[in-house]
Amino acid sequence: MIIRRVLVANRGEIAVRVLRTCRRLGIETVLAVAGADADSVPARLADHTIRIVPGGGAAGLAAAYLNVEAVVDAAAAAGADAIHPGYGFLAENPRFARACEAAGIVFIGPGAEVLEAAGDKLAARRHAAAAGVPVLPGGLVTAEAGEVAGRIGYPVLVKAAGGGGGRGLRVVGDPGQLSGAVTMASAEADAAFGDPRVYLERYVSRARHVEVQLLGDGENVIHLGDRECSVQRRYQKVVEEAPAPRLGETLRVSMRAAAVALGLHLKYQGLGTVEFVVDTEREAFYFLEVNARIQVEHPVTEMVTGLDLVAEQIAIAEGRGLRRSQASVSFGGHAIECRINAEDPADGFRPSPGTVAGAAFPAGPGIRVDTHVQAGSAVPPQYDSLLAKLVVSGADRPEALRRLRSALARCRIDGVATNLAMHRALAADEEFAAGGVDTSYLTRWVQREPPSVRAEIHG
Amino acid sequence: MDLTNEDVADVLALLDSLPYDELDLQTTRFRLILRRTPDGWTQSAQVLSAPNPIATTTDDAGQARAGQTGEVSGAGGVEGEAGGATAGLVAVRAPLPGTFYRAPRPGAPPFVEVGSQVSADTVIGIVETMKLMNSVPADAAGTVAEICVANAEFAAQGTTLLLIRADP
Amino acid sequence: MAEVQLVDVSLRDGNQSLWGATGLRTAHILQIAPVMNRVGFRALDFLSSTAMGVAVRTHREDPWQRIRLTRAAMPDTPLQFIGTGFRFISWERAHPDVMRLVYERLVAAGISRFVVLDPTHDMDAVLATARIIRRAGGTEIIAALTYTISAVHGDAFYAGIAARVAASPHIDRAYVKDPAGLLTPERARTLIPAVRARLGGKPLELHAHCTIGLSPLVYLAAPNLGVQVLQVGCGALADGSSLPDAERTVANLRELGHTVTVDDRLLAQVASYFDQLAAAESLPAGQPQPYDAAFTKHQLAGGVMTTLRRQLAELGLEAKFGAVMDEVSRVRAELGYPIMVTPFPQMVMGQALSNIIGGSGGRKGSPPRAGRASSARYEVVPDQVIRYVLGSFGKPTAPVEPWVLDRILDRPRARELAAEPPPLSPAELRQRLPRGISDEELLLRFGMPSGEVDAMLAAGPAPEHYSPQLQPVLRLLRELGSRPPVRRLVVDKPGFRLELGRA
Repeated sequence: MIIRRVLVANRGEIAVRVLRTCRRLGIETVLAVAGADADSVPARLADHTIRIVPGGGAAGLAAAYLNVEAVVDAAAAAGADAIHPGYGFLAENPRFARACEAAGIVFIGPGAEVLEAAGDKLAARRHAAAAGVPVLPGGLVTAEAGEVAGRIGYPVLVKAAGGGGGRGLRVVGDPGQLSGAVTMASAEADAAFGDPRVYLERYVSRARHVEVQLLGDGENVIHLGDRECSVQRRYQKVVEEAPAPRLGETLRVSMRAAAVALGLHLKYQGLGTVEFVVDTEREAFYFLEVNARIQVEHPVTEMVTGLDLVAEQIAIAEGRGLRRSQASVSFGGHAIECRINAEDPADGFRPSPGTVAGAAFPAGPGIRVDTHVQAGSAVPPQYDSLLAKLVVSGADRPEALRRLRSALARCRIDGVATNLAMHRALAADEEFAAGGVDTSYLTRWVQREPPSVRAEIHG
Repeated sequence: MDLTNEDVADVLALLDSLPYDELDLQTTRFRLILRRTPDGWTQSAQVLSAPNPIATTTDDAGQARAGQTGEVSGAGGVEGEAGGATAGLVAVRAPLPGTFYRAPRPGAPPFVEVGSQVSADTVIGIVETMKLMNSVPADAAGTVAEICVANAEFAAQGTTLLLIRADP
Repeated sequence: MAEVQLVDVSLRDGNQSLWGATGLRTAHILQIAPVMNRVGFRALDFLSSTAMGVAVRTHREDPWQRIRLTRAAMPDTPLQFIGTGFRFISWERAHPDVMRLVYERLVAAGISRFVVLDPTHDMDAVLATARIIRRAGGTEIIAALTYTISAVHGDAFYAGIAARVAASPHIDRAYVKDPAGLLTPERARTLIPAVRARLGGKPLELHAHCTIGLSPLVYLAAPNLGVQVLQVGCGALADGSSLPDAERTVANLRELGHTVTVDDRLLAQVASYFDQLAAAESLPAGQPQPYDAAFTKHQLAGGVMTTLRRQLAELGLEAKFGAVMDEVSRVRAELGYPIMVTPFPQMVMGQALSNIIGGSGGRKGSPPRAGRASSARYEVVPDQVIRYVLGSFGKPTAPVEPWVLDRILDRPRARELAAEPPPLSPAELRQRLPRGISDEELLLRFGMPSGEVDAMLAAGPAPEHYSPQLQPVLRLLRELGSRPPVRRLVVDKPGFRLELGRA
């Protein structure tokens, strides 16, 4: 089939990103909006907007984008034949995928079965193991957590089976803390995901976070290279790059092959990511989770492959087979992305909503800025704090880093606190420049140099 | 016209070698300011075009009219438009631009209310266009879920007049 | 009531008929390709070897890369290549193995649909070419039934060709190609059924230029006569000497009750894009044409006439235009009614021009005397005409007038050309060309002077992005490069403001 009108069921920079590709392809766009988003930059770029009308009436704004029935009804009322969910909100919700199908609307993403397999972290672990992908020792916490933990060996990580995004995660160093941590994690997971199940995994203390981009048509699966995402705070990525620097070729090849094997095992259809923990001391990698959606950090992959990943998603959703073979995907250069957030790193990365008074971004060769903010844009407190993604590319990592420093020097966002100063300091840091930092790097670094990361508040 | 990253790159490729340090380009849809700094160029873009809402509720219909009513669903002809019927909620749209009347004559009870059962032939209202009265059939069997345009309000062609929850 | 499909010719024939094949660059095509892919066209008339040559010569762009990039941007709509089967870019006859290589490379780059157009309807040659294309991987092969008005081109003539098409396993469909737009609705009512009757159920398409305003009416009659596909242009690349306008054709067909399944919104978007491009690049938009009865005599396409006027003007001989046009009709009859389709219009016009203004005795300006007695006629004969008479382009449809034949062949140059060695094979070409070059480059160097190919390679990859609305800004910036700088510059128009300043 050919998709002619898409409902974009998201907001912020990813809505702008999806609208751009639709426009280029000649697909008519309707943006689903709630609250002040009716006047946002994506709302101005879309061909049409339609309000999400939750049945309950005065539900919270964030709830509007999470309301399965209201979003499907909006798509129907808009005459859309497909929905692009972006990331977050309903992007990985199997019930939403099923509701779209029931309504005769194409869900641009993997099928509900894959979403279920990926969404339940324990099920995903089982699939990974079945596909021959290494998983960390671990298991579901039933009656006796101590027994499982003892088998794995301390420290252990307590994780939510239904979750993601770092919620419900606890590191436990000794048996005495275990039951308290399990109780807390379970309660947090129940509140966040409606699923109290938690499981334990061996905690890798010197870990890198590397992920592999997959594209599949249900039968064939190819990878579009790897991304380094180790620069994190509270399990949220802050800087990503492609390819992962200082990764042994053998390790890189094995991880890509493992990701493709898992994709084939899941009969993966659409765009997805397999995340891995790389144990830097043992030169080993382990399955972490599958993200069955387009990722925030997809631009670094686009910059090194020259592909438009949203267009690839749409092509798969239209029922085309993969348009390219693994051999025809070529990788060139190096790309780095900085997530510019409305938050104050000097104040524990606290979000800082408000109104953007003015914004200037760098422009020039090898620089791409994905953003939904301009002078006057509201930064509401209900949503995540991402303001813009600054993405640079170069022939190699040193060139990309040089561009990044110069580009960051030209970024200016007034009216809300941002983490720009932190990005500038990070880009100048020797350890980061050397490449291959682990997931504890950012927290250590922030503690080391607090004065340099004070948020900038202008005007 | 909307501005793409490639457009900015094309402009910069030429501007960079000229002795100018600032470019300010404004059309009805956007404004772009490029400035030369010691580190290279900066851009400030502003999307100026107004959103183009599709009315879905009574309130929003009012907003749409205040805005760019003429463009709402103006594209017509797209096949997807008719396909909405499958979702459970079917939009009954104004076949012509005109004044929407919910009742056959002033003071008479409305043709339908929220909760009314309708068949495809049930008349749900009248659109008066250039002094001619055009009855609007439901075109779907089901229950009226929502009335989107108030009585005697102007409706652009294609405006959703009401929503019907189609019978399964 | 019929289901009618559309083939869009904007990118090839539209560009060739209206913009001398030089209007469109790779970026112009890539920008609109994803949208064209979704309109619902049956196929796109995309390229000819002439257009490939223009890409190299005029734009310094690699035509092979243009095919690949367009294919990637337009994965669903088949791209069509049109060719005679015996030449590639150059006017000289190519070795059959060179042609085989051409087709293999075209398929590899992304062409799947091929038109075989033999200007003399030499069906043995057409069938041989179709077989080569099929082996090269072409999935849809279409034979051209080129329409003209002459003593020999009756309905039975075309029905005979249709029967050959029906019998060939390598030809999938046929189209009536009316390059000069001569077909009237009346003639279509006998011609199309006669062709249909012998086509063995293979689909039939119609391609009629708007040169004298007839084809939009013929298109309305065609579906009921059995034509399944109509070839059209979009926006500025329709009408004039191009093909009927897609949007207008769709509206008219629907008015008559026919079904055309295309996305109207996107069709309008494509048309508007070409309109904006024409405005941005100062290219003439096709206009609906008035009927011109005299046209049926000379049958010269609009592009050729435009060129003739320009050439005469350059020689200071504008006043000769009418005389040359009369001479074109005469030469055409004497040469056995070649159909006025590439490469013959150029050939007939060249000979007519020579006959009028040529001759060694400085007859420039003296009026030509009609008939064989005129010593100026056929005194100067272009190589093209000699090759035609020698049969290099196939067997003329009707015999060449005997005295003309004698007069052309009785000269040293004719004997030289007759004794020309056979064309070179790919292996022989490879020996003469730089070592290690790709097949694609080999074919370009075969068809064009090497300097042109070198210049193309030196120019690097073609730009891939183009925005018509941005062109005024880019043009201004380009012009500013050659002017002394000012402190502040403002362009202020309704809905548009540009300000440039110095620090």
